[in-house]
Amino acid sequence: MSFNAADLQGVLPAIILSVGALFLLTSEVFLRNVRPAVLGHAGGIPTSPAERVEAKLPPGAQGASPSAVTPPDRRYQAWVAAAFAALGLWASLAQLGDPAIAIFNGTAASDGFARVVAAVVCGSLLLSCLVAFGYLEALRATRGEFYALALFSASGMCLLGQATDLIVIFIALEVMSLAVYCLSAYLRRGNRPAEAAFKYFVLGSFASAIFLYGAALAYGATASTRLVDIAAALRGGGSGLLWAAAALLVVGFAFKVAAVPFHMWVPDVYDGAPAPVTGFMAAAVKVAAFATLVRILLGGFGDPVAALGAHGWQRLVVWLAGLTMVVGNLLAIPQRSVKRMLAYSSIAHAGYLLVAVAAMAGPLPRQDAIGGLLFYLASYGATVIGAFGVVAIIERKLALSGAGDDLSSWAGLSERHPALAAAMSLFMVSLAGIPPTAGFMAKLTVFRAAVSAELVPLAVLGVLTSVGGLYYYLRVVVYVYMMPTTKPDAVMGERLVAAGLALIGCAVLVVWMGVQPGAFASVAQNAVAVFSR
Amino acid sequence: MVGPVHYLVLAAILFALGAAGVVIRRNAIIVLMSIEIMLNAVNLSFLAFSRFPLVPVAPMQAGIYAGQVAVFFVIAVAAAEAAVGLAIVIAVFRSRTSVHVDEFDTLKL
Repeated sequence: MSFNAADLQGVLPAIILSVGALFLLTSEVFLRNVRPAVLGHAGGIPTSPAERVEAKLPPGAQGASPSAVTPPDRRYQAWVAAAFAALGLWASLAQLGDPAIAIFNGTAASDGFARVVAAVVCGSLLLSCLVAFGYLEALRATRGEFYALALFSASGMCLLGQATDLIVIFIALEVMSLAVYCLSAYLRRGNRPAEAAFKYFVLGSFASAIFLYGAALAYGATASTRLVDIAAALRGGGSGLLWAAAALLVVGFAFKVAAVPFHMWVPDVYDGAPAPVTGFMAAAVKVAAFATLVRILLGGFGDPVAALGAHGWQRLVVWLAGLTMVVGNLLAIPQRSVKRMLAYSSIAHAGYLLVAVAAMAGPLPRQDAIGGLLFYLASYGATVIGAFGVVAIIERKLALSGAGDDLSSWAGLSERHPALAAAMSLFMVSLAGIPPTAGFMAKLTVFRAAVSAELVPLAVLGVLTSVGGLYYYLRVVVYVYMMPTTKPDAVMGERLVAAGLALIGCAVLVVWMGVQPGAFASVAQNAVAVFSR
Repeated sequence: MVGPVHYLVLAAILFALGAAGVVIRRNAIIVLMSIEIMLNAVNLSFLAFSRFPLVPVAPMQAGIYAGQVAVFFVIAVAAAEAAVGLAIVIAVFRSRTSVHVDEFDTLKL
């Protein structure tokens, strides 16, 4: 067991992100004036009246005790984290054209697919850091761990896109998940974040255990945990054990991507977690989970002719996709909280992504389907981070005034803050899939791949459910532009610089990918040569 | 003679018990313990498959040891998971002085 420079260069984005996290953690040592009392008051949205009484003032209003030591200035952390994310983005894009190689004795791969996944993850991290900066500052909740945890989870995601061995997949999955559990519990005060984190933790570890049992059965059937060996065993005729393994592996990841019978945790977790974290989860965790699902299904069980090859799981994925699209869209309709609506809409989008996965089962249009999936993931990431960025700005204002998240607080946003209103409308239009935006092009490529894979009913169902989705997306736009303001506005924004930058970045990406999809689509297409045979 | 089937059946029973515990038990600490049981059931299957390979493998081939190596990684990950899980349970307990899962209902459909 030895590795060389090529191995390390293959995991460069993950290394950069880990170094960034360690740097941030180390820098905490050199800060001064950190006292437990100050830390105890930092952060938290008081939800119950009792808590608000206990806190007496909005969280973070530390003027109550003038003798309190001012906490150290941690504003540099967001920018350092963003810089490392940008470095990781640059590293993954710089390697994009290099030939695909197997690294670490075939337990991981450095190929175009992994590099695109790493680029999307790093881009999501960069935008999320900028969104989180103003949010955490406004809630006085900037503590040392936040950005380090985000960087660690992103490094797990980069590894997840590369792993071709079931054990490496498990480890990368846990590196990602454990950090995200902590992030969703980040605002410890108050019922909601802790409860959301607990639900996420229990269901997430449950799913990991199911996945791991599948890995153990696959190991039993093939005496190896490499995906290539599983594929070889399949060509020699699969066994019942391998069927069970495939089912458990798919169920484990169906939890992670929030496909419908396994979606119960999503609304609670997305609702309870801080909005910048939710955006990061919706974008980056989804990218990593889908990338791994594709790796397992195509790398391990992708043989188009074997009995347990692509045709074995295609029917399963088709059913999951159909159910997920229908249920996700139907449940999103009655939601009045924008955050919960976006949570259900992320379930619906997982359904559209599963359509692309189902379209990969056939040998012929595999390229289109994989390229479509990557394009969809990138465009959804840019859109949803933008949407949750706007939610974060609204939410931090609500949190300071103690109100709940409801559509009525969005009424008349266009008068109070026209730029935010325009950005939110753009993101809603993109999520709904209306033409000049990224969401439209993404849906178009995915459904086109489904049609050429002879999954016409699924594509029709996808189009119909997206039409149903118009209702709840455009309702937000109606509230923003056409409803009169119901309550006077609190202070809007002292620190909107970083969040504004992130929103502008998201908006530019959304429009650019919608108007000039060719540039992105060709990158995605180049990335999929790995899985063509 | 105790063979692979005994270990695998025991592992399957343990896994099912753990899964049932996560779904049925209402105490957050016992839910965490059930998750640990599931992970250890997986460890047992890994070891059983490593000791009694179902497919012909040369004695010194890497595949034999992959299962045993996997167990070490799973043990390490399970420890990290327990740490994070207990921290989250403590955060929940501090906000509502209860670890009863049925009372975790602030977030509703």
